Amino acid sequence: MTNHWNDLKNSDSIMAIGCNPAENHPISFKWIEEAMEKGAKLISVDPRFTRTSSKANIYARVRPGTDIAFLGGLINYALQNDLIHKEYVRDYTNASFIVTEGYGFKEGMFAHWDEREKAYDMKAWAYALDASGKARHDPTLSDPRCVFQLLKKHYSRYNIDMVCSVTGTKRSDFVRVAQTFCGTGTPDKAGTILYAMGITQSTHGVQNVRAVAMLQLLLGNIGIAGGGVNAMRGESNVQGSTDYGLLFHVLPGYMASPDYSDESLESYTKRYFPKSNELKSANWWQNGGKYITSLLKAWWGKNATSDNNFCFDYMPKRSGNYSYVQAMRKILKGEIEGLVCMGMNPAVGGPNSLNAREGLGKLKWLVTADLWETETSIFWKRPGVNSKNIKTEVFMLPAAASMEKEGSISNSGRWAQWRYAATEPPGEAKSDLWILDQFHKRIKTLYKKDGGAFPGPIVKMAWDYGDGHEPDVHRVAKEINGYFTRDTIVQDKDKTLEFKAGDQVPAFALLQDDGSTLCGCWIYSGSYTKDGNMMARRDPTDLPNNLGMYPKWAWAWPVNRRILYNRASVDKAGRPFNPKRAVIAWNETEKKWQGDVPDGGAPPLNDEKGVNPFIMVPEGVGRIYALTMKDGPFPEHYEPIESPARNLFSSVQNNPCVTLSDKDRCDFNKYPYIGTTYRVTEHWQTGGMTRSLPWLVELVPDMFVEISQSLAREKDIKNGERVRVSTERGSIEAYALVTARIKPFIIDENPVEQVGMPWHFGYAGMATGDSANVLTPEVISPSSNIPEYKAFLCNIEKGGK
Amino acid sequence: MSANRDFSQDRTFLIDMTRCTGCRACQVACKQWNQLKAEKTTFFKGEGYQNPPAMSEYTLTRVKFRDYEKNGHNEFAFYKEMCMHCNDPACVSVCPVSAFIKTPEGPVVYDTKRCIGCRFCMIACPFGVPKYEWSKALPLVVKCTGCYGRIKEGLKPACAKACPSAISYGSRVDMIGEAKKRLAAKPDRYVNKIYGLDEAGGTSVLYLTERPFDELGFKNVTRRPLPSLTWAALRFVPAAFLTMGGSLAFISWLTHRKDRLRKEEEARKSNSVLPKEGE
Repeated sequence: MTNHWNDLKNSDSIMAIGCNPAENHPISFKWIEEAMEKGAKLISVDPRFTRTSSKANIYARVRPGTDIAFLGGLINYALQNDLIHKEYVRDYTNASFIVTEGYGFKEGMFAHWDEREKAYDMKAWAYALDASGKARHDPTLSDPRCVFQLLKKHYSRYNIDMVCSVTGTKRSDFVRVAQTFCGTGTPDKAGTILYAMGITQSTHGVQNVRAVAMLQLLLGNIGIAGGGVNAMRGESNVQGSTDYGLLFHVLPGYMASPDYSDESLESYTKRYFPKSNELKSANWWQNGGKYITSLLKAWWGKNATSDNNFCFDYMPKRSGNYSYVQAMRKILKGEIEGLVCMGMNPAVGGPNSLNAREGLGKLKWLVTADLWETETSIFWKRPGVNSKNIKTEVFMLPAAASMEKEGSISNSGRWAQWRYAATEPPGEAKSDLWILDQFHKRIKTLYKKDGGAFPGPIVKMAWDYGDGHEPDVHRVAKEINGYFTRDTIVQDKDKTLEFKAGDQVPAFALLQDDGSTLCGCWIYSGSYTKDGNMMARRDPTDLPNNLGMYPKWAWAWPVNRRILYNRASVDKAGRPFNPKRAVIAWNETEKKWQGDVPDGGAPPLNDEKGVNPFIMVPEGVGRIYALTMKDGPFPEHYEPIESPARNLFSSVQNNPCVTLSDKDRCDFNKYPYIGTTYRVTEHWQTGGMTRSLPWLVELVPDMFVEISQSLAREKDIKNGERVRVSTERGSIEAYALVTARIKPFIIDENPVEQVGMPWHFGYAGMATGDSANVLTPEVISPSSNIPEYKAFLCNIEKGGK
Repeated sequence: MSANRDFSQDRTFLIDMTRCTGCRACQVACKQWNQLKAEKTTFFKGEGYQNPPAMSEYTLTRVKFRDYEKNGHNEFAFYKEMCMHCNDPACVSVCPVSAFIKTPEGPVVYDTKRCIGCRFCMIACPFGVPKYEWSKALPLVVKCTGCYGRIKEGLKPACAKACPSAISYGSRVDMIGEAKKRLAAKPDRYVNKIYGLDEAGGTSVLYLTERPFDELGFKNVTRRPLPSLTWAALRFVPAAFLTMGGSLAFISWLTHRKDRLRKEEEARKSNSVLPKEGE
């Protein structure tokens, strides 16, 4: 999130699109309702009427996969009705930037498409530069080649009638949403957009989120209290796991993971942390060299020196796309020997479960670490297989639950909150920390003893978490924060700071690229300082601005800043656009900022040393036009790969950058209904943690699908009867729940029904049922590799298998 | 027979259904605190995701769902059914062994050692709350205790603590005040009624709603305290007993008097032909 959970109470208009906070983040509803008590309006945009919709002021139905049409319609509405925050758009976004003639858009395609590569040449979409190499601007926003005019032209096609015929939204509902939400473009109003898998799990998922960000930039809603682009993360510490670089394409702190073409630390640094020509741009990533060096020092300790490029050669270099779907495909082909699944259940959680389960059988060995037997750990004796034919050696490690371990959990709002163990794990169950520590120690011993293909990265790795039976999680946290490896003197503007070897680094601004600091994750620098464990603080005192920031409760990355991009909440003189909700304010007498930690301590823009608010991009201003997005600088509506409708916006049916094979074709005549998946409050993900808890099983004991009353009549299905749902991938059996909350969409004047279902069930555990992901497609977004779980085609018949 | 004390400080729940998201944290928290068994369920019973089918010895509170359409709009509503902890409880009044007690703090609790399983309370309760231990050989009645043990320690009831948005808890006068404030602030959002204010003479559980109460399945309960209704009949019992009994005894004496007199007459006649004693 750019903002955080408590901040929701400051909003005037809360739009929940592609998400269902009442069911999946019920505690957040406390803050949403506090906002509503003060007069805020809740808007629920969803294919079906959910528990969130039941509390919303406005409910707008939208067909799965058509969110860009919906959001594009809102962008167009804001532009046509002059509802944008003009000062903000002119000064804080790239709306005024001039774009080269290389950018173009015609008939569903952007310019410079390479048919052979199946990709765009993004370099052609660059800004037009002046003689000194800086982007040219038109602050009047009238030049036909400026971003603002190109934006207007692109979204002029997203008029209300066109949008509603694609999304299936009732016209009056769309207008109400537009009037309400786009009304937050004034300086005294704040609109927040909450989103989750409903918009990300799509072959144009990244562009969906881009559309959210663009709308918020136009309305001046980023950096202010009650505003922002707010992803509601879906697992307890998934924020922590992405922060620490557990995704294949990043290192801790979201630095890019190097690939085979990054041959040296110097070339890596130049490639990913370029300097910017723009004046007044903090361009914070230019400091990345210090973070990568400090990371290498954390990993290889004393062995990493300036002579050996800090062991950069030991850092693995990717030679491809190791995302989930690609990995599972390799596994299915028998190209992977072994797999370790820690709290992960590919047999139920990924798309095309039947392929995933079959693939597990091709592994030589499998290790699972979980609280209970999951479908993955018992894949070899699942219904319908003869375990004699499966040669995989499976190890199941019992894992400790979160309340049996000490450590931090980071929530969607970037708050890292320290937790303590309330009880000992049962039996032989161990914490993940212990399991990983053991893996490392034993593998290191084997490498030392037996040699191996490339022992260096393992045997030279620094591993300093104590000699106790359980590794000391505080030492891990301290290393993540970072400390000085030797006595160091640092010049910080006009102050000289002295540090001794072993001193905790106060903040990432003090990290160095000469090996004098080590740091396990630069964005968490400041979380465990000489003053102690900042994440363990529980002081409930709020700031005088009463915005629910609680600066002394736990610790938020980066540097305990609660609202990101908060320099955009003030004008060029440092005065808040909305004095009633002042996130930061410049105190002219004391020459410093008050309120939240400012996004860069530099003075306001009017001062010669002032910097622009969007410090993480080279331009320094928000990107309405994004020249580095693979599928285009502006989001454009395309249909999901499996869709009942032809694209009404252009003749290009799907996102052209998606790689499709013959397996991805779907016969609409065989599968005439829209399928979608979602979650319920009562179960958690693949059900490994909840389907063996009696009190939760009592609430939702069986797999079910939700269908409309009209589909039930058409197929002669009654509420509570068994049905069979099938797709190109497979078929499942479930109970049918017939409800008025789901209705067909009118496409080309014909009703097209939907079948919705939770994906929590599988064959393991106390309460079993068929898995929804047996049905879902493996087609993925070209940028994020996320599968299109939310929109596919299926069929439903009365009766079980 | 009404307990005419001041109820304004009684511990009271204010359940604002316009804030309830049907998450059922309350239902699970109650089970956890009271260590109640989970019931075996299949699919859902009732509308929406409702489970288990009814309150029981294992389920002392339950969220009911309503999933319907009205005037082209979807209505998806949830409300928590539970013991209403009445000010003047019918169960307290009818229990022959005084197992139920209306505590000074508000909750209606009961002493399981006194319960004889006669189930008068189940018949008397207008809300259908007390449930029976059908599973046991020596069955007793079971119901929500208002987490009396917790509130004596200064804690909130388990359900109130777990709820993120809908349940407020405090003194009856404060909760009524809060309810009235909300009704006045958003008259277009709420049905202008506090359920539980007057029902059964007033209860310690108050509800606010957006949809009409009867549409959601709330029972239409008299405003008079139930004991006042039962007392209307019961207070006549001793008099009726004595009057009826006395009258019947008198009539019986009267009808048998003829026989008695006849027998005495016959005895006297037969006695006259017999020699007198001592003669």
